[in-house]
Amino acid sequence: MATLTVTQNFGKGARDLEVYRSLGGYGSISSRLFDLSQFELIDLVSRSGLRGRGGAGFPTGMKWSFVPRNSGKPVYLVVNADEGEPGTFKDHVLMQEDPHRLIEGMIVCGWALGVRTAYIYVRGEFLPAIETLNAALKQAYAAGLLGKNIGGSGYSLDIYVHRGAGAYICGEETALINSLEGFKGQPRLKPPFPAVSGAFASPTCVNNVETLMALPWILEHGPEAYQALGTPKSGGTKVFSVSGDVKRPGVYEVPMGTPLMELLESPELCQGIVGELKGVIPGGSSSPVLTAEEARKANLDYEALAALKTMLGSGAVVAFNTERSAVGMLTSLTRFYAHESCGQCTPCREGTGYADRIMKTIASGKGREGDLDHMLDLAANFSYTTICPLAIADAWPIENFIGKFRPEFEAEVAKNPDRGSPRVTKDFRPGAFW
Amino acid sequence: MSHHPVHVEQPSDAEILPRLETPGVLSRVEELIRRYPVKRAALLQVLWLAQETLGWLPNVAIRWSAEKCEVSPVHAYGVSLFYTMYKKVPTGRFFLQICQNVSCHIQGAEAVIAHAEKVLGVDSHGGNTEDGLFTLLRVECLGACGNGPVLQVNDSFATDVVDGELAMPIGVGLDPERFDRIVEWCRRRAAELPEEPVRDALGDILVGTDGHPGATGASAEVQGSYAPPPPALAVTASNVEEGRTKVTWKAAPETTVLHLETRQGGGEFAEVASLSGKDKEWIGELPAGAEIRIVAETAGVRAKPSNIAKGIA
Amino acid sequence: MSNSYNKPVLPKADSKKVSIVVDGADVEVPEGTNLVEALKTIGIDTPHFCYHQDLPVAGNCRQCMVETDGPRGMGLAIACYTPVRPGMKVATDRSSEKVKTARKAVMEFLLANHPLDCPICDKAGECTLQDNYMSSGKHESRMREEIGKQYKGAPEHRHLDAKGQDRGGKHIDLGPTVILDQERCILCDRCTRFMRDVAGDEQLYIAARGDHAFITTFPGQPLQHDYDLNVTDICPVGALTGKHFRFQQRVWLLSKTETIAPDDSLGANITVEHHDGHVWRIMPRRHPDVNKSWISNATRLLYQTLSENRLTGGSFRGADVPLADAVERARELVHGARKVALVASGHLTLEDNAALLALAESLGSRAEVFGGSWLAVGAPDGIARSGDPVANRLGCTLLGISDNLSDLVRRAKEFDCLVVAGHDLWAADAERAKSLSVIPERIALSAWHDATAQASTLAVGIRAWAEVRGSMINVQGRIQRLQAAPTAPTPDLEPAWQVISRLGHLGWTSEVDAFRFAQGRIPALSGLNYRTIGSQGRILEGVAP
Ligand SMILES: Cc1cc2nc3c(=O)[nH]c(=O)nc-3n(C[C@H](O)[C@H](O)[C@H](O)COP(=O)(O)O)c2cc1C
Ligand code: SF4
Ligand code: SF4
Ligand code: FES
Ligand code: FES
Repeated sequence: MATLTVTQNFGKGARDLEVYRSLGGYGSISSRLFDLSQFELIDLVSRSGLRGRGGAGFPTGMKWSFVPRNSGKPVYLVVNADEGEPGTFKDHVLMQEDPHRLIEGMIVCGWALGVRTAYIYVRGEFLPAIETLNAALKQAYAAGLLGKNIGGSGYSLDIYVHRGAGAYICGEETALINSLEGFKGQPRLKPPFPAVSGAFASPTCVNNVETLMALPWILEHGPEAYQALGTPKSGGTKVFSVSGDVKRPGVYEVPMGTPLMELLESPELCQGIVGELKGVIPGGSSSPVLTAEEARKANLDYEALAALKTMLGSGAVVAFNTERSAVGMLTSLTRFYAHESCGQCTPCREGTGYADRIMKTIASGKGREGDLDHMLDLAANFSYTTICPLAIADAWPIENFIGKFRPEFEAEVAKNPDRGSPRVTKDFRPGAFW
Repeated sequence: MSHHPVHVEQPSDAEILPRLETPGVLSRVEELIRRYPVKRAALLQVLWLAQETLGWLPNVAIRWSAEKCEVSPVHAYGVSLFYTMYKKVPTGRFFLQICQNVSCHIQGAEAVIAHAEKVLGVDSHGGNTEDGLFTLLRVECLGACGNGPVLQVNDSFATDVVDGELAMPIGVGLDPERFDRIVEWCRRRAAELPEEPVRDALGDILVGTDGHPGATGASAEVQGSYAPPPPALAVTASNVEEGRTKVTWKAAPETTVLHLETRQGGGEFAEVASLSGKDKEWIGELPAGAEIRIVAETAGVRAKPSNIAKGIA
Repeated sequence: MSNSYNKPVLPKADSKKVSIVVDGADVEVPEGTNLVEALKTIGIDTPHFCYHQDLPVAGNCRQCMVETDGPRGMGLAIACYTPVRPGMKVATDRSSEKVKTARKAVMEFLLANHPLDCPICDKAGECTLQDNYMSSGKHESRMREEIGKQYKGAPEHRHLDAKGQDRGGKHIDLGPTVILDQERCILCDRCTRFMRDVAGDEQLYIAARGDHAFITTFPGQPLQHDYDLNVTDICPVGALTGKHFRFQQRVWLLSKTETIAPDDSLGANITVEHHDGHVWRIMPRRHPDVNKSWISNATRLLYQTLSENRLTGGSFRGADVPLADAVERARELVHGARKVALVASGHLTLEDNAALLALAESLGSRAEVFGGSWLAVGAPDGIARSGDPVANRLGCTLLGISDNLSDLVRRAKEFDCLVVAGHDLWAADAERAKSLSVIPERIALSAWHDATAQASTLAVGIRAWAEVRGSMINVQGRIQRLQAAPTAPTPDLEPAWQVISRLGHLGWTSEVDAFRFAQGRIPALSGLNYRTIGSQGRILEGVAP
């Protein structure tokens, strides 16, 4: 059995503080944490090779080191538990199974950055997880693990759960902050970056649930041990959400660098594909899809997936078999991104909706010749021209599904007897009449 | 329930406000507001509370929330329409949301949705059954994709009924039979309980905190006033030449003063030198065998002492 | 909201210059500002929708794309939010295909869901969407019916059109002054930023999200604010239009005259827009240190009074007389009088008041000049009004005219002739004005049949503020220019200074003579002329109170 650093308490009833403690929980708080100076702790996290598990994979120690000290403003920690990327459900399970580990991780991060008030931003749909978290927080407060003067250290930390209300884009960290502040969850222009001016115009650290939950293990076993679990550049382990056509979908923690097929086929893990593998989305719905052939070559770490022109993202693996229609999957994704565009930037707002309408037209048998290229052109036009990467997150599936499964799309268009008739271009343009 | 807004008849202030202006609701509003340095930040939570209280969010409740959080009414209105989970129209007692996103899609979401439409006799874009029991809505990823296709009954995840309770067993997705069981569960519950008990929309409130230190009038505490200053670390001492000792250490960048202290024979530590927080080493004469430590000070507050280094004999 | 602290840094006359490379050429631009402004200083216009000099940067329209150099080579960036960095490389659409494509794409995206309203749109001719479409390269529409459009609109305004298409909100009565067309809105967020950050009263908001987002007030609540018509100026499309100007006149027919607002001592800079001798509207004219880009609704609607109730001739003891006769009669009365009270006016230009002083001088001890105002003075609103309705109060003070109307009231019996120039005393305070009725001959020079004209024995028509050239000194001590629009209701109406010059045989032939006289009284004006005052006015050293 591989070493588990985040999910080791699954199925052990660790929601309860006493159980969590009996499994060694809050060990870092009673032993090492407060002996470490803040900058030593940041250094330790840097050496562990821990990278953000929310999608971008930014080195956590480095992110922390950007948070200015004594800026004259409070420092906030905001936990990103807005998990919304289709295919991703690990944070959901992590919070339900082991909420105290998150709290412990937050205390570690809070101590490192000098945080007095922290928020856990949980997506609105996860009310059961919010209930779990609040119950755990209550226990932690009662045990003196939160609040004023934690364990006599002189350090004080308050944690609140903030319930989101249904918006995928709030997973983007600046949108998350806007949402926390009572605004629409629209991403902000950068700079300033949250580390310098985030929540309430104060230095803010936004970290994913899983990122923070890796900290207790790192503190207990040391950064080198954690780093050694993974590859030289992608240290540690990663929690994957596996869904789709596998025998046993679920949440699995494996060392970075594990071959994708091992995750899908190992009897201890997903136990194999249902049917014949057609492709895999390796890192959440926005990551470029891999064909079965590519999937067989893929290792699960940042660099290996980047080499295949896709990404580890949130670690959401969606496997699908040859019975699944690429057209149907892409239609489902373009609909999703159009639904979730925050509506700020013109290319994303109008473009994702436009692409969605074309996809629906194709899927309903009214596609025409040129529609596929039009889709690709639109996708290219809303990539890299927007405030946040949501538009690219739509463009990648469009480009890769059409790129890798083009015959299927063409067959769909071919169903339309009128596919070759000219476009309706009656549409006239401003200025045309004067 | 969707940001594709629908127009509904709005109730009057008199119908709604008395239900919101109750001591119970008001004290929770106050607690929510205390969590943040600005009242505005409580807006999403206060909207949740109003929705919990009323079952949906009429415009009056939005205006009420705006007043509580000191934002303009139109701000609260715009925000309430941005997020899909605020119900701008009342729903049935059991709000069934079925995920149609990619993982659920490939596991047969469309078939289950079609089945649900047929069984309930409503469309899946917010259709309501005539008995007021069900509202059916297709939604995007619910964050439980391993159980695709996924269903939420109100705020509970459910892909089956196990031991008479809604449940989402690992790896079990919704299918037509399970959907029927869930519908049956709902009907049975409706027969047993006249009304759906209110479920706390914020997952219960916290006790034991005083709220954000900056909330309601107090000034926001800045970093440093509540976390003890970082101590100096890794103090070592070595002999550089006859009678002279070199002391090195690590100190956090924000340290302002470093107090070098020594003691002999188990006595009290006494300050030998006061150094700048930026200094990296000290060389000077120390009595042989002295114990050496450093106390770092940041902005006038002394940290706990460093480790103790033994001077060279 | 989130980025409301991101106010653009604008170049100043004394901004330090740094060199950057634009499209391969070394150029000098002001430091610290954004690229839209920097490129403007070297003559390159960057198309944009959401950026506005006097609003926080939102950066959402993505039309202003340029390429700049970064750690990973040249890449697209929005010019409105990219600060000038010494030595940076910038590529505009003149050298970068990527930029060209990106800008064109934004146009295509915006038009994909825009209604085809231009022929019936009030904004046509000054619509940024039209302009940018022309400049970013027209494109073939790739639209087709099956794909359809997503029109914007609030739930209560959505409807199906004749073809069964789901449509958004059209001609929504948003309040007393503004009409909204939600379908035309391109969600640039300018109006909401104006209401929030300038007016300080957030009444507009973009609700919902994605391509379903729409601009709205709180349901059932009107848009109502003293400055709300400014949103119709900054709206880049025809989504927000002023009721007062809807379907009045096609904008490309209008000629513009730059002048200042006469209703407040800040002297908001404005343009009077006219066609065929008629003023159709007043628009704010940007002045960074006076009114930015804003004017109050009251100022904006002043043009309506220019064609109402005008005194186009003369009237003597209630009977109309030709203008020339009225002037002649006035001259006789003034010269025949034993003691004349001349009432100056802060509503008139320096030139008009100078003429009055020159008249007094010519009459010697038989004349006495009174000044001041009975109108209430309010507080500055921080936007485009000082709160003092007497526009040229400081000018009068500097000319040496005292604030002594109350003396006149007390000593009214000493006079047998009263000359009131452009000052509606009877409207300002009828009670006090009544005591002036003891003066047997009361001459009013007025542009309107106002209460004072009616209460006088002889009324002489003059030109109104929009029809004269001259100057006023605002509350900041800034001398600003008024220019004459060719819109006087009858051609023989003369400005007040000219009528007064006739009364006093001053022989002045143009405003310049009057200005010279004023220069004699106000040392700070020495060396200035209308050209050097310029369109942005001049601060006079040491005169501001
Ligand atoms: C469109 C979009 C959606 C995102 N959704 C999530 C999310 O659901 N959860 C998450 O942790 N990070 C999400 N992120 C990444 C965050 O912006 C951010 O990088 C992350 O929370 C940082 O935490 P980490 O460094 O611990 O990964 C998203 C980013 C984008 C652009
Ligand atoms: S890219 Fe899309 S989601 Fe991101 S800020 Fe722009 S409009 Fe919003
Ligand atoms: S109404 Fe006009 S100014 Fe307001 S957001 Fe829409 S386009 Fe912009
Ligand atoms: S895709 Fe259905 S729950 Fe995630
Ligand atoms: S003008 Fe720069 S993004 Fe709109």
